[in-house]
Amino acid sequence: MISFINANCTFRKNAGVKNLNFSIEDGEFVFLTGPSGAGKSTILRLIYMDLFPEKGKVLIRDFDSTRIRDREIPFLRRKVGMIFQDYQLLKDRNVYQNVALALYASHYKTREIKSRVYNILNQVGLGHRVHHRPTELSGGEQQRVTIARALVKEPIVLLADEPTGNLDPRVSIELINLLNKINKKGTAVIVATHNYSLIQRVPGARLIQINEGEIISIT
Amino acid sequence: MTILWFLFKEGFKGLIRSKYSGAFSIIIIAISIMLVGFGYVIARDTLFMVENIRAQFDVDIFIKQTASRDDIAAFDAKLKKMNEIDHLIYISPEEAAKKFKNEFGEDIFDILDYNPLPPSFTISFKPIYRNLISVEAIANILQSDPVVDELKYRKNFLIILEKYQRIILFTVLGIFAVLTLISIILTSNSIKMTIFARQDIISTMKLIGATNRFIKIPFVIEGTLEGGLGSLVAALIIYGMFYLQNTYFQSFLDYTVVVSYRYYVALLILGTFLGWIGSRRAIRKFLH
Repeated sequence: MISFINANCTFRKNAGVKNLNFSIEDGEFVFLTGPSGAGKSTILRLIYMDLFPEKGKVLIRDFDSTRIRDREIPFLRRKVGMIFQDYQLLKDRNVYQNVALALYASHYKTREIKSRVYNILNQVGLGHRVHHRPTELSGGEQQRVTIARALVKEPIVLLADEPTGNLDPRVSIELINLLNKINKKGTAVIVATHNYSLIQRVPGARLIQINEGEIISIT
Repeated sequence: MTILWFLFKEGFKGLIRSKYSGAFSIIIIAISIMLVGFGYVIARDTLFMVENIRAQFDVDIFIKQTASRDDIAAFDAKLKKMNEIDHLIYISPEEAAKKFKNEFGEDIFDILDYNPLPPSFTISFKPIYRNLISVEAIANILQSDPVVDELKYRKNFLIILEKYQRIILFTVLGIFAVLTLISIILTSNSIKMTIFARQDIISTMKLIGATNRFIKIPFVIEGTLEGGLGSLVAALIIYGMFYLQNTYFQSFLDYTVVVSYRYYVALLILGTFLGWIGSRRAIRKFLH
C-alpha cells in the first residue's frame, strides 16, 4: 500500500531522510521511533505529500510522488487521515463542524455527513460533546476529535505525529488503545513517537527505528 | 448543491467569525471608497467649472459704419452658416447705445450729438472650437470680410485658461488616479490581513483534502461581502455629507453637489469588485 523506494528528502540543512526503502501493507500498525529530529515527521509528510523526495519515490496506492500533480494531492489526502500533537482543530467551530468539514471537502451530501459525523463521534466517545468548541475540551478530547476528523472519511491509513505529546500518561494510553481498536477494524495506522512505553501497548505492531534520517532497524 | 450551499454559508459565516479583522477591513474599504467617491466629484466639478469658464468666451465683431442693411444681412447669413458658431447675437447701433447707457449710466446722445457705436455681432463657439487655434483661424476668416471693421476677443484669457486647464486636468486626474490606487492597495491589504489572521483554516483545510477551489470560494465570498458592505457604508456617509452640504452649507459655499443614483450604484459595484479581486489575489498568495 505504501512504498518508499530509495527515497531521499532534505528540506533543511541536516534535516530529512536518506535512502529509505520499506513498505507498509493494508491494515498494519507501525510505530516510527527515534529521537527528536530523526526524520519521523519527514516520513509522515512524505506520505501525505507535503514534502517530495529529491531522489527515489514514494508510492501510496496509485499515487506516485514523481508523477502526482498539485491538483491531485487533495484526493490523496482524502485517503490519508492525519492527527497531530497540536491537534490543528479550528477553534471558531464546534466539534461537529470540525469533523464535518473533512466530509464537506470531499463533497459528501448533508444527510450522509450528519450520520457519519454522529456515528464517528460516538465511536471515539464524544457523542455528548458535539456542540462544544475545541477550547472547551480537554487535550485528550481534542485529540479524539482529530481522530474522528481523520477517520470520518474512511482513510486507508491513519498517520499520527506524536499524538500523545501533549497528553498525560493515562490519556496517552487511552488514545493508543483507541488507535489499536481502529486498526483492528482494518485501517492501517502509522504512529511517529519517541514514547517507547506506548509501543508495548500494541503487541504485534511493526517498529521502524530511525536516526539521523536513516533506518536503523525494521521489524 | 450541498457543497455550493456550504461554501456560501462558510463565506457569510467567515465574515462574522473574522470579527475585528473583518470589521477593520470593512472600515478600510469604506475609507477607500470614500476617497474615490469624493475624488470623483471633486475632479468632475473642477473640470466642469473650467469648462463653464471657457463657455463664457465670446468674440465681438464690429461692422463698418458704411455697411448697408443688405451687407449686414448677408454677413449675418454667412455667420449662421458657419458650423463652428454655437450662438450669435446681433447688436444694432440703437441697442449698443442702450447698452452703453445701462453700463455707464450716461446717454451717448448727451455726450455726442450722434451715435458713434457701430452695429456688431457677438458670437460664441461650439465646445470643440473654444480653443486658441480654432478661434484664431475663424477670426482670420471673419476679419477678411469687407463688412468687418474690427474683431475683439480676450486672447490672453484663452491662453491662460488653456495653460491652467491642462495643469488642473492633470492634477485632478492624477489625484483621482492616486486615490484609486491607494484604495486598491488598502482594500487588498486589509483583506490579506483578514485571511492572514485565519491561516490555520487554510492549512487545516489542505490537510483534510480540500481542493484549492474549496478553500478559496468562502474567502472570496467573504472578501466580496466586505467590499460590498464597505462601499455601502461609504455610499451612506457620502450621501449624508452631500445632503448636509446641499441643505445647510449650500449658500455658504455657493456650491451644490449633484449626483445621480448611478453614482452610488457605481460606488457599490466598485467596492464589491475591489473586495472580490482583492480577496482572490490575497488567497492565491496563501494557497501556494
